[in-house]
Parts: sequence; structure tokens; C-alpha cells
Amino acid sequence: MNSVLVRILAAAAWLAIPALIGRMAIGADAGWALFAGGLLILLGYHATNLRRLLDWLARKDPGDVPEASGVWDDAFALLHRRERRLAQERQRLARLVVRYSQAGRALPDGVVILDGDDRIVWCNSKAEARFGIDGNTDVGQPITNLVRQPEFVKYLAARDYTGPAQLKTGRGAALTLSVQIIPYDDAQKLLLARDITQAERLETMRRDFVANVSHELRTPLTVLMGFLETVRELKLDPDRARNYMGMMADQASRMQHIIDDLLTLSALEVAPQPPWDRQVPMRTVLASLCADAEALSGGRHHISLDAHGDWDLLGAESEIASALRNLVTNAVRYTPEGGEIRLIWRSSDTGASFAVEDSGVGIATEHIPRLTERFYRVDSGRSRETGGTGLGLAIVKHALLRHQASLQIESEPGKGSRFTASFPARRIAAAHPSTGVVT
Amino acid sequence: MQTSEHLSKQYDSDLDTLRAHVLQMGGLVEAQILAAIDGFSTGNMELFERVIETELRVNGYEVSIDTDCSHIIVRRQPAATDLRLIMAVSKTVTDLERIGDEAEKIARRSKQIHERDRLKVQRFGQIRHVGNIAVQMLRQALDAFARLDAEQAAQVVREDMTIDDEFRSIVRQLITFMMEDPRTISSALDVLWIAKAIERIGDHAKNVAENVIYIVKGTDVRHTRFEDLEREARS
Repeated sequence: MNSVLVRILAAAAWLAIPALIGRMAIGADAGWALFAGGLLILLGYHATNLRRLLDWLARKDPGDVPEASGVWDDAFALLHRRERRLAQERQRLARLVVRYSQAGRALPDGVVILDGDDRIVWCNSKAEARFGIDGNTDVGQPITNLVRQPEFVKYLAARDYTGPAQLKTGRGAALTLSVQIIPYDDAQKLLLARDITQAERLETMRRDFVANVSHELRTPLTVLMGFLETVRELKLDPDRARNYMGMMADQASRMQHIIDDLLTLSALEVAPQPPWDRQVPMRTVLASLCADAEALSGGRHHISLDAHGDWDLLGAESEIASALRNLVTNAVRYTPEGGEIRLIWRSSDTGASFAVEDSGVGIATEHIPRLTERFYRVDSGRSRETGGTGLGLAIVKHALLRHQASLQIESEPGKGSRFTASFPARRIAAAHPSTGVVT
Repeated sequence: MQTSEHLSKQYDSDLDTLRAHVLQMGGLVEAQILAAIDGFSTGNMELFERVIETELRVNGYEVSIDTDCSHIIVRRQPAATDLRLIMAVSKTVTDLERIGDEAEKIARRSKQIHERDRLKVQRFGQIRHVGNIAVQMLRQALDAFARLDAEQAAQVVREDMTIDDEFRSIVRQLITFMMEDPRTISSALDVLWIAKAIERIGDHAKNVAENVIYIVKGTDVRHTRFEDLEREARS
């Protein structure tokens, strides 16, 4: 404040000096004229700077504070400093907001913020994908206009948010969501959507498994009991009795197969990692697969083997051979007479794959993801007729998984299917030249 | 998307509630078709019961929404967009109710099929496929209604052609089945009815979408060529 006063006094002195000199040199009138002129200049200086200040204040986007000399420089410098501090503060807050909204976006659950009228205020990308809403254009839209599942509308309207609600989404992939609403801050609500599709599937699989095992074992057992009763109660001629015994033996061996397969599966589950240093002679394995296929088909199919690359797999021979044999057997079973079956082996230093292509009945798309489940059947009558236990592909999948391999299934109903087992490079080794001649 | 604001807050909120009710009704109908088609593939009797029960609620919605429409017309004398909205709503609920009826038909027929004999329903994976397209269409049409999005509505109209094609191919397939084995005729006829019901659902969903274009653009695009309709929706 003082410095401003001093400056104004100094300015006045600067005005007074020329005025005094003028008065002494030329006369009183000229002195006054000079003084008045000086005053005008001073006024002009203040007026311009005031104008610039007002202009700057009126601007929407402030930009840089204007610069000036003299008294106004102090004022502008202070303003400039304050402006800079505010800008920094604004930036810090903006960064904070961005960081929080990024964190919200990264959450694995879908999050939607709703206002008092259940309108969408904000949502993250997971929520966008799960509910099919758009975080930009759907703001202000009542959530129930877009998430219309009756279960959800009821849950939201009931205003009792102690537990979650479950709903199925229809957009894109069919998911099962567990939806929870958390009211906060008087009227606002936080809507959390957790994807529980996998958990629900596991639960169903576990339930189905127990039911399926009992069912699969009970069916042959019932037949067996029926025959036993007949044989015990009725006097049968030896031929008939032998016939019945044969059928009983069939049923018993079916039960045996199922139990064997179950034991194989559980053995696969608990067995240690298959070895990394044991080489599986693929030429021998492929040749025997081909022979098995021919034997099972009995000349009813065209079977061809197309092998490329001289590489072997590393792992447990029995597991790999039984997995691949299962694939081949399936192809023979599900391909009608006269159909074509191709076994394709491709190996290189980047990995190997074994594919079985058939021109059989094919599998509808909705069954494909569930094929490797235990006892899952596309057509319940059919696979039992052909002698399957319902565990074949489950065994394949397990055996392959243990060798870090994957199973891909492509199929078109009526056209045929293609099952491919792909092995990673880690499970590959160059074949010994001798393996081809063995056997 | 908000409609333009009126001096009377109550009027705005009446219109919002009307829209929300239509969409709630739509949600019920969507769930109904899904359950009906699921029931057809799985033979789950519980689902059929649910479809048939929901039908009563859908009917209730139709009556109450229509009453709301006439109340708004009498009290507010709506003009321009609001009038179009109310007229379109009144037509849309009729379509939604019909879709509900078709879903109920699907449920009843499927129940018969599953009760009569276990016809190899798996062979009719195509029904599930068209069913999904129909549900998808209805969902898109309702989304377009919620967002007042004419372009999305135009897409729904395009989808309807896919359903018509699929329907024709199902009919051809059924004819082959019936010629191969006359014992399948009664079940095949039931499946035909179901396919027809799904095809009708597609038509009604298309109507809903056309109503959305009417609300947004103010032009009646029923029975016009698809190219004209699409141009109108884009304009």
C-alpha cells in the first residue's frame, strides 16, 4: 500500500518538476499547460490499463493476465500469481477426477450411478457392455427404460436392497448377473453388476454330475435287475437263458465302461504332471490310430491319414494316445456309412496339432461349449446306442489340458465336424530317426 | 433422451411415466418370448406356466396405458411431438400385447409337442435361431423407443427381412420331414405354428420400430419401400 502511495507521489513530483521548470523558463500559463498535459497523460495511462483489466475480466477464457509498467504492474503481477495458483489447483482437481473415474472404469464389476429418479448419471464400460447402455448418450435416461428385465424392474421398485437380485442379460453374450443396489447420499444409488455366469455354470455342472452318474449307472442296473428277476422266477429253456445272460453281460460291461472312464478321469485329475522328457513316437501312434479307426469302421468309411512334419510330442504316451483315440472313435461313430474321415497331423518347431475331420452328423452351435462336460449328450438316445459312456470328450479335454494343449471344436450340423488338439512348442521334440522303423 | 420441456412439470412427468410404462410392458413381453422359446427347446413346463401367467399382466398394462393416453389427450390437448408420441404409444401397446399373445401361442404349442411325444426337438435348432433374432429385434425396437433413435429403428425394419427368409426355409425343412415320415405330421404342424408365431413377432417388432420413426420424424413409414424408410430415418 505504502509503495503505491510513494509511486503516486513520485508521479506527482515528476509532473510538478517540468511544470515548475516551465513556469520559471516561459511563464505561468505555459507551466499550467505543461502540468495539465502531464495530468492528461497520467489519466490516459490509468484509463488504458483499467480498460485492459476489465477486458481481461470479461473474457470467458482468461488466458494470460495483461502486462503493464508502473503501479499497474504490481496489480497485474498479483493477479497473475493468483491466476496461476488457481490454474494449478484446477489441474490437480481435474487429475483427481480423471484418476477416480479411471479407477471406476477399471473395476471388474459393472457400476452405474443413479439419481433420485433412477436416471443414469454415470456408468463404467463394464456396465455399458453388460446392460447395453451408452455412458455418453444415455445419461439422464431412466435405467429401467433400457434394463427392462422384469426381475430388475421389480427389484428396483421394491426399494429393499438388502440382498442382490439375479438377472439374465440378452444383449450380446447371454450372461447371468448378480445385481446389487447400494443407496448413498440421500437419493443417489450405486448399481453394481457382477458376472456370475461361470459360478452358476459350475454349480449346475456339479449338480448335474451327481445326478448324471446315478442316472447312467441306474439305467443298465435296472435292465440287469429285470433280467435277473425273469431268470429267477421263470423256468426258461437253456437257449433263452443263454440269450438273457448275454444281454446281462452287455449291461454289466456298460457299467464297467462307465466306471472305468470315471476312474480314468479321476486318475487324470490327481496324477502328477506328465513327464517333460519322455518322447511319444508319433509315427507309431498315428499308425495305430489309423489301424484302430479302420478296425472300428469295418470298411464303412473312407479313412485317410495326412501327416506332415517329423516332430514328436513330449509327455505321457498312454494319455496322449487315449485322448487322440477318443477323437478318432467319435468321428467313426458319428459319421454315417460312406462318410469320410480325415486324420491330419501337423508338426513344426512352433507347435503341433492333430485334427480329425468327418463328414458326419455335425453338432449344433449351442452344444459345442458344453460337449466336454461329463455326461453331456447332444442327443440322449443316440450316443448310448452307439456305445458311448458320455465321458470320452471329458477325458480328452483333461488329458490335453495336462499337456498344456487345447481342444477346438468346429462343426456345422449336417456337414460334419472338426476336432483339433493343438500342442504348444514346449511339448514338441524332433523325432528320432529310428522311431519310424520300430514295430 | 428428454422430450422438450413444458411449462407444466406435471405434464413432463406424465409423458415420462407413460414411456416408462410402455418400456416396462416391453420388458415383460421380451422375457415372455425368451421363456417361450427356452421352453420349446428344453420342454421345461414351469416356463410355459410362467409365459401364460405373464400374459395377464401384459393385458393389464395394455388397458392401463391406453387409459393413461386418453387421460393425457383430454387434460393436456397435446400437440406436435407429444401428440405423435401418444398416438404411437397407443399403437405400440397393441403390438406389444399381440407379441405377448404370440408368445403364449408358442408356449401352448410347445407344451403340446412335449406332452405328446418327445419329437426330436433338437432338429429344430433353427426355431431357436429365428426366435433369438425376433427377441433381438424387439429389444432393439424398444431401445430405439427409449432413446428416440430413428436410425436404430430403421435397422429393426431391415432385420425383419431376415426373419421372413428364415421362416421360408423352416417351412421347406418341415415339408421334407413330413414327406419322409408321415408320423411326424402332427408335430411338424405344431412346429409350423410356432415358426409362424415367431414370424408374426418379427412383424410386430417392426411396427414398433416404425412407430419410433413416426415419433421422431413425423412421417408415416408404414408400407413404404425400405430404401425410402431408411432415407427418412437418416434425414
